[in-house]
Amino acid sequence: MADRKAPSSAYGAGPAGDTDFRKTWNRDEYAAKAAAREAKVKEEGKARYEAKLAGKKYIPRAATPPDAKETQSRAERLNVSANVGKTMLVPAGAGIGKRGRGAGFYCPDCDLTFKDNLQFVDHLNSRQHLANTGQSGEVRKATLEDVRERLAWLKRKREEEKKDEVIDLKTRLETRQQQDEREREERRRKRRERRRKTKDGMGIKEEDQYEGNGIIC
Amino acid sequence: MSGHKADAKALLDDRGYSGPLIRGENPANLIEKPLQDRITETYYWKEQCFALNEASLCDRAVDMNFIGGTYGQQKASPFLCLVFKLLQLQPEREIVLYYLHNEEGFKYLTALAAFYIRLTFEPVEIYKALEPLLSDYRKLRRRRNDGFMITHMDQFIDDLLTKDRMCGTTLWKLPKRQLLEDLELLDERVSPLADEIEAIDNENDDAREGDESREGSDYERRNGANGRSRSRSRSSEGR
Ligand SMILES: [Zn+2]
Repeated sequence: MADRKAPSSAYGAGPAGDTDFRKTWNRDEYAAKAAAREAKVKEEGKARYEAKLAGKKYIPRAATPPDAKETQSRAERLNVSANVGKTMLVPAGAGIGKRGRGAGFYCPDCDLTFKDNLQFVDHLNSRQHLANTGQSGEVRKATLEDVRERLAWLKRKREEEKKDEVIDLKTRLETRQQQDEREREERRRKRRERRRKTKDGMGIKEEDQYEGNGIIC
Repeated sequence: MSGHKADAKALLDDRGYSGPLIRGENPANLIEKPLQDRITETYYWKEQCFALNEASLCDRAVDMNFIGGTYGQQKASPFLCLVFKLLQLQPEREIVLYYLHNEEGFKYLTALAAFYIRLTFEPVEIYKALEPLLSDYRKLRRRRNDGFMITHMDQFIDDLLTKDRMCGTTLWKLPKRQLLEDLELLDERVSPLADEIEAIDNENDDAREGDESREGSDYERRNGANGRSRSRSRSSEGR
């Protein structure tokens, strides 16, 4: 999600120029719009007819508000683990989507609480939640160019992560080396100390320190 | 500019479905109905597949680390979820082919595209698109009910071209290569391996140099000896 492109003209490809504040009267565009409108009317008529055949009432979908954002995929995992390991008291008979803040997964936009992550994510995907958060439920269709850019970016990202890993490994190895060095120094110091304590100053012979000496395996 | 729906309601509404058809069918039905339910009830589907488009789907595809159908309590794999998402998105052909050959080297994206192509392309196009991958020997992890196993891209592609069941679902019946050859819809395939063998047999014969099907012969040379590579088709005689 980090590589959003600069906004382009609302009327299609190409960056917005300095005259783009003026509405362009474009026949093709109007023809396309008219065709789209016609198709929608037709589709609605068909749906109405089919609903009638099935003996149901046709309920048209609420029009999408003009300022609705396109819906985007989640950039991160939902943080459901925040609730893991906590005992939650869920009132008996609590249904799906309890009004108000309660124990469980709370949606501040809709002021509803859900008792498990599955119900919660179902809610986040619901038309109700999308409408409450000003999303259209429509997803922008990506072009081949978008896909290309995306994959190139993912590749770069992966390479950087690998580099970080190598650096991480290197620093870990270095720390380890320094630690080993300190331990060795400590052992040397102790040995010198012991040597000073023995009468002849020669210290205890190395092999005497080992357990089970004399047995050669 | 047409958009996609963030959810799959339209796709799953079998009677009301009004989107494009594949072989006269709602594309969802290229996956068996019970498996569709297995897919759409997973948390992965709900959380990770919601509102994806052709580009953001790549994020998920490159994060995959195994292929497979269902495992455990009949849980659908992320692989299947993404196949199903593709059936909903129906990306343009050039995008699907870009996934398949992605030069970034994301092999699970290649496998995903291959499976989607097997489900949705026309027979001749399936062979044309997938056969070059018979000399792709990258390793793939495959998850089964009893754990993981290692397979390879060429094996996976070979299965797609020859088997009727894969990843927990029945594949529609793909006409045999031979039949398409007899109808002169496909040229005879020259296995890179067969070609290689022949090249060794006829050391002096360089007529075959530059044959396009020789790509990947390096792979064959390296891997041919361990007996894993198969020559699926007849040799290049009579071409
Ligand atoms: Zn909500």
